Amino acid sequence: MVTKISIQNLRKIYDTPERRVHALEGVNLNIEDGEFICLVGLSGCGKTTLLNMLAGFVEITAGTITMDGKPLTQDYDKGVVFQEYALFPWRTARQNVEYGLEIRNVPEEERNRIALEYLRLVRLEDFADFFPHNLSGGMRQRVAVARAMAFDPQILLMDEPFGALDAQTREELQALTVDVWQKTKKTILYVTHNLSEAVYLGNRIVVFVPNPGRIREIVKVDLPRPRDDLAPEFIRLQRHVNDLIRDF
Amino acid sequence: MQTSEAPPVPQSMDEKKKELRTSLLFKLRPIYPFIVILAIWQVAAMQARGNQGRLFPTVDAIVYRAWELVTDPLFRALAENPNLSFLDHIWKLLESPILLHTLNTAWRLPFSFFIAAVVGTIVGIMMGRFAFWESFFVPLLSVLLPIPAIAWTPIVVIWSGIGDQTVIVITAFASFLPIAMAVWTGVKTVNPVWIRAAQSMNADKMTIFRTVVLPGSLPMILSGMRIGLARAWRAGVGAEAFAGIRWGLSAGIFDAQEYLDIAFMMVALGILGLFGFVLEKVLFQPIESRTVIRWGMMEAMGAQDKKV
Repeated sequence: MVTKISIQNLRKIYDTPERRVHALEGVNLNIEDGEFICLVGLSGCGKTTLLNMLAGFVEITAGTITMDGKPLTQDYDKGVVFQEYALFPWRTARQNVEYGLEIRNVPEEERNRIALEYLRLVRLEDFADFFPHNLSGGMRQRVAVARAMAFDPQILLMDEPFGALDAQTREELQALTVDVWQKTKKTILYVTHNLSEAVYLGNRIVVFVPNPGRIREIVKVDLPRPRDDLAPEFIRLQRHVNDLIRDF
Repeated sequence: MQTSEAPPVPQSMDEKKKELRTSLLFKLRPIYPFIVILAIWQVAAMQARGNQGRLFPTVDAIVYRAWELVTDPLFRALAENPNLSFLDHIWKLLESPILLHTLNTAWRLPFSFFIAAVVGTIVGIMMGRFAFWESFFVPLLSVLLPIPAIAWTPIVVIWSGIGDQTVIVITAFASFLPIAMAVWTGVKTVNPVWIRAAQSMNADKMTIFRTVVLPGSLPMILSGMRIGLARAWRAGVGAEAFAGIRWGLSAGIFDAQEYLDIAFMMVALGILGLFGFVLEKVLFQPIESRTVIRWGMMEAMGAQDKKV
């Protein structure tokens, strides 16, 4: 496999006049092309900080992140799915998905076609002309996934995207996410605090612990897909990750 | 799904009629309070005798006076020359004082409001975008905002004389202040997640401003415009009276005070009220229902649905 992203000796310190927070220390991680990586850990362990650095929202204090062997630039193509509903309310589902293509000056007809294609991928082609407030929470996040992928980014960054949804919708979207990932072969980094979700989705689970935020262990998940979250091996893995997070 | 529609249920004619009747009565409900007030007025006015009756005219007398005010010049001209052309009819109608007053107010106010909306939006955006202009304008606006704009009238009259320009300056200034404040607040308080989303897709600053900040702050901007219009209305009507100009509804009202012409005042007041109502209906409601209401952004702001 080809290494897509290489993270070396990454450190992040938030320095504010009031306090100094050591968010990440000595993070080393190689992510292969097409991998599905889950980042888990208690709050304050730095998993979201790492994601935000990859998204370019947060500056690196020390260390390097390279993509395809080159240092990360601000404007490389990444798709981000946020926990909150980040759709633009004044745009229909299709227009939301088109946004990234507009930025890249894709001609209108082409935009239209691609947007519908990605809406079909998340099974929302019938709701293309709906405004977000007329869609359910789950549907909105599906549009958000389509929007983050429509301009064919190099990686997809997801920050607890289904955290605000009810359990059933959440499971549905997890299955959909795996489906989308298998179809598009995108490299995905997925932050969650839900361990069952992590075991269900990831090829590897990166377990973070806080003070300072660092990687405790990287757990490989070799279970065949589609995964059964009640299978003994599944539960054993989930328990293993749970132990890693809590006892250190 | 909120959008699914129930299939139409077949109804008997009787039910349909009943529904129509109740819905018509329901729709007319906002008119009832006016009917009640007018009825009380009429009964009270009928008790007035002699000279009192002149000071407290009945509703029918006011309506008759309104008719007279509109048609008087026309009828007088017709008495002199019964063969007026159609165009002359119109011209004579426009000579009636109440219409002249109305037309004068009707162009000055929207004109002043338009100036205020343009300047207020530009200043508000500058404040929202550039820290320098923010620190420059915020103290200024904070001091100016609580001063009733009408209090500037004497100064403006001295500087720019008696005339339309004075009323326009006062009106535009009064409505500029809240509009600038609202646009500034709107631009500053756009949901940061929308901006992050746009940034994550590599939109540059100008694009983010055009495609995210502007539509995202539209609810605030519109509510600022609405407050601005209300302020323009008040200041404009006051300035008309205090600037000593000849034509304008409230100038007319103060004139009518000299002649104890209560009916004229009532008619002019009625037109003023109607004005505000029509501006709300033709200006704000269509814009809102096509934008922020359609996008579900009013609910997000916690605003109440506007009925009536």
